Amino acid sequence: MQAQQGMDHDYWDWSPFVVRPVLKWPNDAKLAVCLLVDLGHYEWQPPPEAFDPPSHTPPHSMNPYPDYVTVTFREYGHRVGIFRIMQAFDKRGIKATVPMDAYTADHYPGLIRECQSRGWEIIGHGLTQRQAITSLMSEEQERSYIENSLGALEQATGRRPLGWLGPEHSQSTRTPKILAEFGLRYCCDFPNDEQPYRVLTPSGELYSLPCMIEIGDVMGHFNRKLSMKRWVRMVKETFDVMYEEGADSGLFLEFRLHPWCIGQSYRIRYLEEILAYIKRPDVWIATGSEIVDWYRKQPHAAFRPG
Amino acid sequence: MISLEQRIDYLPLNDRPKIIWPNKARLAFWVVPNVEFYDYMPPAKAKRKDRGFDNPVFPSPDIQGNIRRDYGNRVGFWRMVKVLDKYNIRCTVNINLAVLERLPEERSAMIERNWDFCCHGMYNSRSEPKGLALEEQRAFVKECIAVLQRTTGKKLKGCNVLSRATPELPDILAEEGLIYHADYLHDDQPMPIRVKQGRLVSVPYGGEINDSAMTSRNRAWEADDLLEAAKDAFDRLYEEGAENGMVLCLALHPWCSGYPYRIKYLDKILDYIMSHAGVWQTTADDIAEYYLANYHDQAIAYADRLKVVAGNR
Repeated sequence: MQAQQGMDHDYWDWSPFVVRPVLKWPNDAKLAVCLLVDLGHYEWQPPPEAFDPPSHTPPHSMNPYPDYVTVTFREYGHRVGIFRIMQAFDKRGIKATVPMDAYTADHYPGLIRECQSRGWEIIGHGLTQRQAITSLMSEEQERSYIENSLGALEQATGRRPLGWLGPEHSQSTRTPKILAEFGLRYCCDFPNDEQPYRVLTPSGELYSLPCMIEIGDVMGHFNRKLSMKRWVRMVKETFDVMYEEGADSGLFLEFRLHPWCIGQSYRIRYLEEILAYIKRPDVWIATGSEIVDWYRKQPHAAFRPG
Repeated sequence: MISLEQRIDYLPLNDRPKIIWPNKARLAFWVVPNVEFYDYMPPAKAKRKDRGFDNPVFPSPDIQGNIRRDYGNRVGFWRMVKVLDKYNIRCTVNINLAVLERLPEERSAMIERNWDFCCHGMYNSRSEPKGLALEEQRAFVKECIAVLQRTTGKKLKGCNVLSRATPELPDILAEEGLIYHADYLHDDQPMPIRVKQGRLVSVPYGGEINDSAMTSRNRAWEADDLLEAAKDAFDRLYEEGAENGMVLCLALHPWCSGYPYRIKYLDKILDYIMSHAGVWQTTADDIAEYYLANYHDQAIAYADRLKVVAGNR
């Protein structure tokens, strides 16, 4: 049984970095940066039919019900942490892209206003963080899940969102197709590249803005227990290499920040340090939509290897 | 079926024949990038279930698990190759054989550099050969041999499948003409593995001198910790290697070391090791060949003699 050439699915091409055309960013920036500030809700008890991601269940995280500690610790982000992050971003004129779930959109209108007044972009992030997408769902269930997630944001913001990040990056085999059908322009789920790329769906134009998972605040520091100093160095080292290599062909850096984690009093200064470090004239820090609007017109987006 | 205890002989460091490497090198140094392909939807029967302890496993498609590895082939591999080339490293690739059929640019890059290939299964998201009946295991090994031959013209000499290995696997490997098995972490030197027919060598693999240690949620390791560990391992083995030739294995993954936040540490590890005289930078194929030609039979005879002495006591 000889394997065919290329990927084992149709959503993107096999595209080794070395065969691609040069990618140009606006004003010849070396690097485009998209910072995801997650506003996701961790419910006390998800409905029994929901798929609670294994990363949110023991032994990986959370304690058996009733888990006061984890649930209240996440709620801290919506109440306190987010405002520290907003202050840090405002100080430097940086806009965030905010994955927001339906529960947050329904229950925290003040946060919607704060995001909108800053020009931050709100994107789909599922129903709650303890209800994920999986292939175990029927197509009908998945469609209504995504529709309800987007509908709650539209209701709360007055706008249909253009981007998507599934809870814990969760997907079924149908997800990219459904996202494109619902008119979404981009998806941040896939952690497999340092440049955007076109996702091939039969139903519309969808781009992947790939996320660098390991340098997120939760994955880099909270889950993996690296000290904050070491985490900051890791992010700076990432930036240094991509900034240097981005002189040849533009690179894209996206990673996740969680208000309940980086927004703590004892961590916020490390975010300040990172923002100060990456804010440079030849680095384009932008929202997901701004980046996709530029990217989709570049030859890089249309390139099909082979 | 023989047990693991019967496969390996107890030959303690203070009582074993000495190894002298070519040109009296103190250390044989093999570098093993694990070049892997993770299925988007692994077949249910073969899907690996042994990966959930360090990191959670999602139902397929597992985006944070399997699809993250896609990064290694698209981006990480190419960044890693630049650093390996800087030090002229001839790698032994732990290859998921599907890569050779599916990803032609990566295949060519490895062939151009005359790297050797060690079988790492067809797909890393699948548990094979574990879970297969004996004759299916043999067919699996034959298929791996055939794919390597067809895609690179090379003869398969070794196998590293770690948690996917079966009790019978060493016998099958030897019978199918492989000469080494790199799944044993019991020594810093090659050792014989007892098989029903023919000969088989254990070439020590990097269990902890391995960049995948940095992806575990259970260990707060980053690339600078691996750098320190690799230097410490090298210093100690280099010292001991003046008396008795040792093996150092550096295990790598493009989806671990190829990230921008880790690449310079790989550069530093190689810079440190390759700046020393008396290092035989080679492949597992060549280590196994050399050991078979010079030391394997001597080690077996020595082990047999120790058993007789113990029996007489």
